[in-house]
Amino acid sequence: MSRWEYFLKRLLLSIPVLFLVITFLFIMLRLGPIDPVAARFGPEATGADVQRMRDRLGLDDPLWEQYLQFARDLLLFEGQSWVVQANRPVRAVIYDTAGPTLWLGFWAILLPLFIGLPLGFYAGLNPNSWGDYVASIGGIVWLAMPNFWLAVMLLAVLRQTDGGGWFGFDWYQLGPELRSITGTPNLDWYSISNVSVFDIVSFPMLTGMDWGAFAVDIKFILPPALVLGSASMAAELRIGRTAMLETINSNYVITAKAKGLKQRVIVWKHVFRNALIPLVPVITNEAFILIGGSVIVEEVFNISGLGRTFFLAVIQGDLPLAGSLLFMFTLVIIFLNILQDFLYTIIDPRVGYER
Amino acid sequence: MTIDDQHTNERPLVEVRNLQTAFFTEKETIRAVDNISFDLRAGDTVGIVGESGSGKSVTARSLMGLVEKPGRVLQGSSVRFNHLETVQEFSKKFSKRTVVVDSVAEQYDGSMTDLFGHESVDITPQFFGYEKPESVPLADILAAGYGDKLGLVDANDCIFITEGDTDTIQDGFVEITRLSGEPQRQMRGGRIAMVFQDPLTSLNPVYTVGNQIKEALRLHQGLKGKEATQEAARLLDAVGIPDARRRIKEYPHQFSGGMRQRAVIAMALACEPEVLICDEPTTALDVTIQAQILDLLTDLQEQTDLAIMFITHDMGVIANISDYVNVMYAGEIVETTNVERLFSQPKHPYTEGLLQSIPGAQTGDRLTTIDGNVPTPNEPATYCRFAPRCPKAFEECEHVHPTATAVSTDVEDHTVACLLYPEDMDTTAAVEHHQNKSEQTTVDTPQSSMEVNQ
Ligand code: SF4
Repeated sequence: MSRWEYFLKRLLLSIPVLFLVITFLFIMLRLGPIDPVAARFGPEATGADVQRMRDRLGLDDPLWEQYLQFARDLLLFEGQSWVVQANRPVRAVIYDTAGPTLWLGFWAILLPLFIGLPLGFYAGLNPNSWGDYVASIGGIVWLAMPNFWLAVMLLAVLRQTDGGGWFGFDWYQLGPELRSITGTPNLDWYSISNVSVFDIVSFPMLTGMDWGAFAVDIKFILPPALVLGSASMAAELRIGRTAMLETINSNYVITAKAKGLKQRVIVWKHVFRNALIPLVPVITNEAFILIGGSVIVEEVFNISGLGRTFFLAVIQGDLPLAGSLLFMFTLVIIFLNILQDFLYTIIDPRVGYER
Repeated sequence: MTIDDQHTNERPLVEVRNLQTAFFTEKETIRAVDNISFDLRAGDTVGIVGESGSGKSVTARSLMGLVEKPGRVLQGSSVRFNHLETVQEFSKKFSKRTVVVDSVAEQYDGSMTDLFGHESVDITPQFFGYEKPESVPLADILAAGYGDKLGLVDANDCIFITEGDTDTIQDGFVEITRLSGEPQRQMRGGRIAMVFQDPLTSLNPVYTVGNQIKEALRLHQGLKGKEATQEAARLLDAVGIPDARRRIKEYPHQFSGGMRQRAVIAMALACEPEVLICDEPTTALDVTIQAQILDLLTDLQEQTDLAIMFITHDMGVIANISDYVNVMYAGEIVETTNVERLFSQPKHPYTEGLLQSIPGAQTGDRLTTIDGNVPTPNEPATYCRFAPRCPKAFEECEHVHPTATAVSTDVEDHTVACLLYPEDMDTTAAVEHHQNKSEQTTVDTPQSSMEVNQ
């Protein structure tokens, strides 16, 4: 079986997974303890209202019809929010709240990738040096701090710096000015308009950038992204170090050295790619953690993103919204799994190889 | 002071003299290679045989400059690469690290006797195999790393011109133990290439075999693109891989063990080396493939006049491939001779034991083996390290360190380090002979010999 056949097989396998998830969500949400009518009207609703609502929601239809309806709504994102933003289509709610979460998630992946991984590789290339000790101990300490705690502490410290404070710098004034360090990023630094070519086709394109607002949004998102990415950063550091260490001591690297290759070529060609192999699942798995972490971090930093919306939907019994969000998270995870297989397939030619 | 007349064509390609490589751990100092000397000549195969732990692989790595911390090659060691073209090329590229020995001699105003009297020189002329200080060539002292403290050469200098000057080099050598950085890198592969023990792991799994061979071709022969692909296919074909054009596009995991080792050999050949070091290249392979690989190496040597250093623990393989054999035990060479003599008249009790433990060479029904294991050489040798396992051991073996001696006074080309020899002396005289020799040559202040030879 070739690498790509293997990849295709993995791709097809995700379809049954998707339906399993839908069924599971249906059972959890529809047959669970939450009464959707009570959730909408509160416990004091009268009989007639309740019955009308039951009809409207289709709660008395046969179960298989409800299931099909549910599956259809999920797949097309066509449900309606009941409570959190009552009667708005789920799609609109997601559209509004996805931006801040994507922005947060992007930086929460980028920071560890560009801080944790290089530090880990550096430590692995220079084992038992001072740099290694500092990086490794720093990684352990960083990993030991749970993100909800780190979030609160970071907020407290940054608030202290308002107008000078103990730390000798003012985070609010440093670089682009911020008025508040919590809240939802604006994300209004880009403008997209339809551009038409020769009046035949027209497509949306990035037509303008407000670099000032862009900088503000980056600065704004850095603290929560740092918190959200903290565990990943430490994990990438540690596993990056181990992977590097294992690879530089492997026989093929010694062979490469004995061939007379330059150190630069050895590290970048022979070591780097091999060291990445064990890191692929680490990096993609971290993205899973991000989804859980974003619920907490968005709550603490008061960002109205997907995580916070999901939290509200769950505690208020907004079943369609919670279901759709869960379904979306599942999609993201399935996508990440596919991405992981894809990366494996690209990096490691041995994938799917059987003798 | 005169430099002994030496001519490149008479001299071996590689001269290993007093090579000592030690590993410094917190617990102890392991003298993995403890003062060994041997030569490699173009077109010849020198076998190094011994049980595991005898220091064979460390010897190979010392020659490649691949000894890793906490190990290092000690002061006093010298591995000369006497290849005139290389010396000429290197002296141009690395003129700052080149030394003309004659001009160093002119600048130095003391006598050789003063030089040996200097506090930083902890060896005697006998260490280099000479009786009097005057007869020791200055080049030997510089190569062994004693010139640095005396201010004669820089710690970085590694190319020595012994005849002629920088423009007209007639003779000289590259001192491998003093190499570092760029000249060391250029020495690896291009001059001395190495084939490792485990063919399954010595190719990078994520690049095609062709890619890895082409990498060497590009580095050492400047071939690129189509030319390189063609040459890579030709090399694979030359090492006996069928359908080479297709196979260069395959990954190592698609090759069988024997094929992989062939590919590794092809990769080493792509560097066009003068010397090929094979570190147990056939150990991981089954017997028929082992024989094929040995034949391949013999053929290649005939075509290219390679000097091969072949490391193995297998006496059968040694009989097959080598011209000369060094038997190693606990970091020392205990017997050296040509392959015919070694098998017809082994002298050292250890060699005898090794020969007796070849399956099939036995007369009785039980396989004779040498009981026990190779000891870890963690202190300077003041006794015979083989004594605990030696069937012929006698009292003095515990107290006198045997040095390499001619088997008997009239036989050249066969040395052995055992108190029973030279044969034509009675045991007391022989023991005395060894005692004198080791007292004269052994570095008596082990502390100072721990200095780095860099
Ligand atoms: S010196 Fe003594 S112990 Fe060592 S090999 Fe010779 S006889 Fe055996």
